[in-house]
Amino acid sequence: MTPAPSNLPSQNSTVLGWAGIRDFVRERWDLVALVVLAVAPLVVPALGGALGGQVTTLFIYCILALGLNVMVGYTGLVHLGIAAFFGIGAYLMAILTVPMYPFQIGFLAATIVSVLATAGIGLALGAPTLRLRGDYLAIVTLGFGEVVKVTLRNLEQITGGMKGLNPVPPPGAGVKVGGLDLGLAFAIDPRWFYYLALLALAGVVVAMRRLEQSRLGRAWVAVREDELAASAMGISATRVKLSAFAMSSAVAGLAGCLYAASLSTTADPNAYDFNRSIMVLCAVILGGLGSIPGTILGVAILVGFDTVLAPWADSWIQQMNINPSGSSLLSFSGWRLAIFGLALVLVMRYRPEGLVPSRRLAAELHEDHS
Amino acid sequence: MSAQFFLQQCLIGLTNGALVALVALGYTMVYGIIGLINFAHGDLIMLGACLALSLVTAFGLATAGPTATWVGIAVLIVACGLFCGTLNVCVDRIVYKPLRNAPKLAPLVSAIGVSFIFMNIGLFWLGPSDRSFPELLPSTNLLPGEGLQFTWKDLLVLVVVVPLMLGLSLLVQTTRLGRAMRAVSQDPTAAALVGVDVDRVIAATFFIGGALGGAASVIYGLYINTIGFQMGFQNGLYAFTAAVLGGIGSIPGAVVGGLVIGLVRSLSSAYVGERWTGAIVFAILIVILVFRPEGLLGRRTKEKV
Amino acid sequence: MAMKPRISAILLVSVFLAGCRPADPTLVTIVSSLPRTGSAKQQSDTIVRGIRMAVEEVGGRVGPYRVEYLDLDDSTAAAGQWTSEAEAANARRALQDPDVVAYIGTFNSGAAKVSMPILNLGDLLMVSPANTAVGLTKPGLGEPGEPGVYRPTGRLNYTRVVPADDLQGPLSADWAKRRGVKTVCILDDNEVYGKGLADLFDERCREIGIEVLDHDSIDAKAQEFKSLMASVKAAKPDLVYFGGTTQSKGGQLAKDMASAGITAILMVPDGCREQVFIDSAGAANLEGRCFVTFGGLPPEKLTGKGHTFVERYREKYHELPEAYAVYGYEAACVALEAIRRAGTKDRRAISDAALAIRDFDGALGHWGFDANGDTTMRTLTVSVVKNGRFEFEEILDANAEGGEADGQPTGAGATDGAAPAEAAR
Repeated sequence: MTPAPSNLPSQNSTVLGWAGIRDFVRERWDLVALVVLAVAPLVVPALGGALGGQVTTLFIYCILALGLNVMVGYTGLVHLGIAAFFGIGAYLMAILTVPMYPFQIGFLAATIVSVLATAGIGLALGAPTLRLRGDYLAIVTLGFGEVVKVTLRNLEQITGGMKGLNPVPPPGAGVKVGGLDLGLAFAIDPRWFYYLALLALAGVVVAMRRLEQSRLGRAWVAVREDELAASAMGISATRVKLSAFAMSSAVAGLAGCLYAASLSTTADPNAYDFNRSIMVLCAVILGGLGSIPGTILGVAILVGFDTVLAPWADSWIQQMNINPSGSSLLSFSGWRLAIFGLALVLVMRYRPEGLVPSRRLAAELHEDHS
Repeated sequence: MSAQFFLQQCLIGLTNGALVALVALGYTMVYGIIGLINFAHGDLIMLGACLALSLVTAFGLATAGPTATWVGIAVLIVACGLFCGTLNVCVDRIVYKPLRNAPKLAPLVSAIGVSFIFMNIGLFWLGPSDRSFPELLPSTNLLPGEGLQFTWKDLLVLVVVVPLMLGLSLLVQTTRLGRAMRAVSQDPTAAALVGVDVDRVIAATFFIGGALGGAASVIYGLYINTIGFQMGFQNGLYAFTAAVLGGIGSIPGAVVGGLVIGLVRSLSSAYVGERWTGAIVFAILIVILVFRPEGLLGRRTKEKV
Repeated sequence: MAMKPRISAILLVSVFLAGCRPADPTLVTIVSSLPRTGSAKQQSDTIVRGIRMAVEEVGGRVGPYRVEYLDLDDSTAAAGQWTSEAEAANARRALQDPDVVAYIGTFNSGAAKVSMPILNLGDLLMVSPANTAVGLTKPGLGEPGEPGVYRPTGRLNYTRVVPADDLQGPLSADWAKRRGVKTVCILDDNEVYGKGLADLFDERCREIGIEVLDHDSIDAKAQEFKSLMASVKAAKPDLVYFGGTTQSKGGQLAKDMASAGITAILMVPDGCREQVFIDSAGAANLEGRCFVTFGGLPPEKLTGKGHTFVERYREKYHELPEAYAVYGYEAACVALEAIRRAGTKDRRAISDAALAIRDFDGALGHWGFDANGDTTMRTLTVSVVKNGRFEFEEILDANAEGGEADGQPTGAGATDGAAPAEAAR
């Protein structure tokens, strides 16, 4: 999905047929998607309500998944504990902003501090475990996730235990712009968070694009393909992997910050457990490893299924009065797990490289095994 | 606290660990042969436990006499072993086999998918809440005195698990099938070249791993006495951790890993506090792996260029 | 490019239309937000049945309005329990739908913490059938800042028909003392409800001179507690208290307690007062030794409207309702009554009408709301497990207990409440 922006304007202005539009969409899917998403809240009234909040959550998971994609997709290190970094980001955001603590440094400053801190924690986990190979590294990240979850739960004096930390103030709390109280606006209308998350997502996508093309991004891929060969070419595998760890953690931390702010609570530590890590990992693989649009699509399908589609389908069945006896066989949620599982199995069966495979990766992986 | 208390905790830890080890064998075997972390294994065991419960209820084992109970347990183990083994082979055929040449992580996601499907089946089978598995064995203490508690249940775990593990080691080390398994695990292409039917060996591995899981499911029901559609997850998490801790792909490693996890769990519950158990188990895991990156008994793999 | 001005014009118009689905003047909707997937489903099923029966009873009409009921799920399949996201989404959804005038929920106190501040912004009436965490309503008893943080507008919109834990925890300890209990081991599930309750129990034990030998939290996802029970056995307590629910492994705990050979009695709170608890623990393991506290009267002891409800429930579903079914029913009755009294669809008016209920003749008896939106019902029942069922043992009446329990929740107990709990950690 490498954009070819050079000849676009001319093409667009000369050919205004369907083919032109189609090509435009294909080449600049990102711009089209961004415009559609930016306009949507103004056109779709539902986005001003519950749906808006749900879509915001989707954006946040997209950011999280893009962070994971750095480790799993680009660098080829399986990471089963991304939710821990998500949680650390969320808790740092809360600690730096909730009234319970003296810091209360505001959303933006808290985000910067948390992102840097999560990157640091990522480095601290990465440094001693780098020599682990493949699935051993995976299990270390899994273990780290469990340790973080239990610690968050037990250090009540700091994290509030299962109660979590709340209320996390909305961004711009107390800031007035032309008579509009920003904090209040964020609290009342989910569309403010929608735009904030969309902005952050767009920023992360742009950053990831540039990283992909950069020296570091290419080094990640080189290490994934063949660590020995990469080292022989003068790439320091240790440093490259560490940077992937840090980048991945930092982006996950950013997602965590947004998550806590948008929910106005850290939620309880169980929100950052292994299930969540697995869900995000599935989204990245389902969408296509190392592919930005794939990752976003994967999240939209998997997380969207659970947070948007399933509740909607359940209440639709109720309102249609299809299931008056309340039998779980007739409710959507009764089948949710199976549908979910079947989707994973079928996509992997028919598109093992993912729905939108990264071109480079798909080619290589086939080569590997033939 | 007293030495007796320490011994008691060790006993509990070893018994628990033996059960974890039995489940871990299923992970390690499948991993050893096709390099797949079979996430669905825990949920396969859950389905085995569902079947066990249904059979116990159908045949009224809870009210049977002692001889009938022991025979019944043996039959249960065989039935659930066959069921889980067969199911595992079917899943491999339908889901994993088409993915043999796919990217490495594709079967992993499929396995997660299968685990969700199994959970949904379990949900319909058992209902949403935990179900009690009847106590088939008398809870009389087999050890003299008040202090140490070691009941028929604990004995059962060891009586079933130890022979199964020894049998499996023998099978892998001495039989033709075992040799074929080891060959496939080292290099499937080379194994195929020397005339090993790779697909059959893989199917056999899935069957044996599943059958061990089936046996584990019965023991689990009898020992823990509660089953529920979500039990597979936690079960799998610890067992998989045990497999990696011991050195994934290594059969004695899985056993050692299981025992270590069992011991760590019970000792940390006793001396640190139940609430920290989860963290301590995984923290120790991380520390061990940092110092022994290939697991306790794993072989150090040379990097191939 | 020439399209642009027209598009922007359309956009501008849509901005004004956004979020303005017209309300149906003849309809009021009541929603409930309960965990409908995962292990709490069985309990929430009975609550939903209770709510449906309340709506059916009034013929689906209240005042000039048709009543519709919508059963929302605050759990997800992936989590298997309530999640903050699902709860927040339900709250926003309810707020956005102009026909929704009452929100019955939540089941878990933790979930209430998420939806309360959201719903408060829209003054939408919340009636919880099951939240018992004290901090949700009672100033000074919970965390610093509670309950103010749940009321960003400063107005009240939250009520609950179930007595809070400041009653259950201490009264349970008093009961144990009267029974001659000298030493206890306290366990909790580390959740908002269970841990809060266990801390209150712990605190009260220390006050009245029951020795607390150990207080530990379990991981509700763990599968067995054999090691923990060996430790409990070594401590030799007279009583084991578990602050938690059936969903957080109450049954397994009881089971492992019995198989470790512990003879102490077990005490559990209302979160375990459901048949599933006995089924999952195994009746034999609880027989005669497990005591359950519960706010209000158990279904079989209800009289008047409550008795009628139980009979109708039994007719309809061919089983005795779980304890919480009555609370679901009562919550719905309160919501309907508030709508009737307000006589309008205005959410603020309905919330005010509900909070103004001082004397309600409902299925749970005669009770009303106090200034915090808490029920004035201060009766607690202790049941014992016999023959695989809960059997009524005795009534603990906070009002009859005299000064010690009565003064506790509001008076001095509030201030010294925090200190011992802190020390216990």
